[in-house]
Amino acid sequence: MSTPLLEIQDLHAEIDGKEILKGISLTINKGQVHALMGPNGSGKSTLSNALLGHPKYKITQGKILFNGQDITDWKTDARARAGIFLGFQYPIAVSGVSVANFVRTAMKSCAGANFQAKEFRKEFKAAMSALGVEESFATRYVNDGFSGGEKKRLEILQMTMLKPTLAILDETDSGLDIDALKTVSEGINRLRGPELGILLITHYQRLLNYILPDVVHVFVDGKIVRSGGKELALELEAKGYAPYEKTAVTA
Amino acid sequence: MLTHPSQKTALDQFNALPWPEKTSEEWRRSDLAGLIAADNGDGAFSVRWDAVPPEMIHAGVILTDLTTALKQFPGLVAEYLFKTGTPRGLTKFALQNQALTRQGLFCYIPDGVHVDLPMHSWIEPAGNGSPLFPRVLVVVGEGASATLIDERRSPADSTAMLCNEFTEVLLKADAKFSYIRLQRWNESARELFGHRAVLKRNAHYSHIQIGLGGEMSKANLETILSETGAKADLLGILFGSGKQHFDFNTLQAHEAPHTTSDLLYKSVLKDTAKSIYTGLIRIEKEAKQTDAYQDNRSLLLSQGAKADSIPRLEILTDDVQCKHGVAVGPVDEDQVFYLMSRGLPRAEAERLIVSGFFNSVLSRVPVEALREELAASVSQRI
Repeated sequence: MSTPLLEIQDLHAEIDGKEILKGISLTINKGQVHALMGPNGSGKSTLSNALLGHPKYKITQGKILFNGQDITDWKTDARARAGIFLGFQYPIAVSGVSVANFVRTAMKSCAGANFQAKEFRKEFKAAMSALGVEESFATRYVNDGFSGGEKKRLEILQMTMLKPTLAILDETDSGLDIDALKTVSEGINRLRGPELGILLITHYQRLLNYILPDVVHVFVDGKIVRSGGKELALELEAKGYAPYEKTAVTA
Repeated sequence: MLTHPSQKTALDQFNALPWPEKTSEEWRRSDLAGLIAADNGDGAFSVRWDAVPPEMIHAGVILTDLTTALKQFPGLVAEYLFKTGTPRGLTKFALQNQALTRQGLFCYIPDGVHVDLPMHSWIEPAGNGSPLFPRVLVVVGEGASATLIDERRSPADSTAMLCNEFTEVLLKADAKFSYIRLQRWNESARELFGHRAVLKRNAHYSHIQIGLGGEMSKANLETILSETGAKADLLGILFGSGKQHFDFNTLQAHEAPHTTSDLLYKSVLKDTAKSIYTGLIRIEKEAKQTDAYQDNRSLLLSQGAKADSIPRLEILTDDVQCKHGVAVGPVDEDQVFYLMSRGLPRAEAERLIVSGFFNSVLSRVPVEALREELAASVSQRI
């Protein structure tokens, strides 16, 4: 068996002294799509931020291995350059910086001397058109005055261009109407392949109608309380998180 | 001296006026002692410019140094030199410049002439250590239009320098002029910088200050909207690192009805650099239906950096639109995380945030070709 793409070992993390992640273990192999489903406030976003090394979250115990390498102490940018991508739940506006300039700068950071301006322009145009955004999108300021759908399209546009080997998509479906959800899901599905691992973090099952997961995890109160196949998502849809929340309290 | 008759009077006035008090409002945040010239200046400097196209020269456009202009066009220079009035701020230093200046830049655009391509000039000290007193005079005729980028540079090996500069700009009726001062002195330069622009009927002035160099830059920039319909866009970009100190005061003087001024100054400071911005909008009794805006924003890249911002309004009439705003703060850590999550090292993320911060000023530079050039100059400095 080859080295897992991502291996989270008994991860504990806290913010301002309060423990949010209470011992998470999770293994994602290349080519797999895992869905992590949980109610609001369960710590889903903490997990995604901690995986990218957000300085606000302190890892108190456990390890994160990426392609077998311990990256627990790595800086955010080093993780990104290694091939990890985070699709933000709430993408941040950067006023005065155009989408094209931002994506180009990010690609230069990741590709270094291998960056090819001409190739970039071609690919960027194609990626925009595949996501159904107009060319004027490129000259707008990053997430500045964007609608919910535009923000999520920009996240997937970046993912398309940066070609990560692990994509963590945090509530990518939130704030999307049904058409935008379709476009964004198609964008993600196009990127699926034997080299890419995806961790879909979501509250609702509806995204999983478009992106079929290989594994589903139920995440409650900072812990994975159950894992299973895609049928687990449907069960959650029918029964909600309540049974697990009780388990978590009594445990 | 230029041997202009008013220089003798200015020298007498300069000698009669005491140096300002260190505790005065104008000087309590900046070190006065380091800006008082030890001698009356024989500081040599060169004034240079890119050649103006022959057809423009044929149309009467003049871009040359001030001493040459006095020899070749004595009547014209005499008509406009030292005529924009006594400034309200840095008065003693303005008189000193007037009394002692021997050289500078002269730019003249005759009535109705449009200079399409931006003109480019620069001043560079020769480096003998004595203070410099450059004078810039710009006259834009009725209905004429032009753009001038006026650069300040230091030779690579130059030592400490003190410069007391004064610029006069006269825009006649319906004139349109963009003046970009790109200050790239070396890190040990200290400068005093006075500016007074007078705008006649329906004139439109874009004034862009880009301050990148110098250990100390103390400026007093006055714009007088003297006739109806005059309009001024006043923009500034300051970037300071190390121990750089910027102290900028601006005056938007509305003296006539239907006048508009819109000021936006942005500074970015790192290490222990400091910026002080004070600005006054004054609207006279006659200046009804005037719009005046003033906005000053500062981004602090380190804990030791500091920015003070003190806007003031004096409104002597009603029926005006007037607004001012101030914001000072550190870099947004959420933005830094977002950019770092795309592979940008922290320094690169900050650089992008800073260039974005300045972009709202640069995007208002009227000539598109210039925007990129200026963005590149600023980006190189960051």
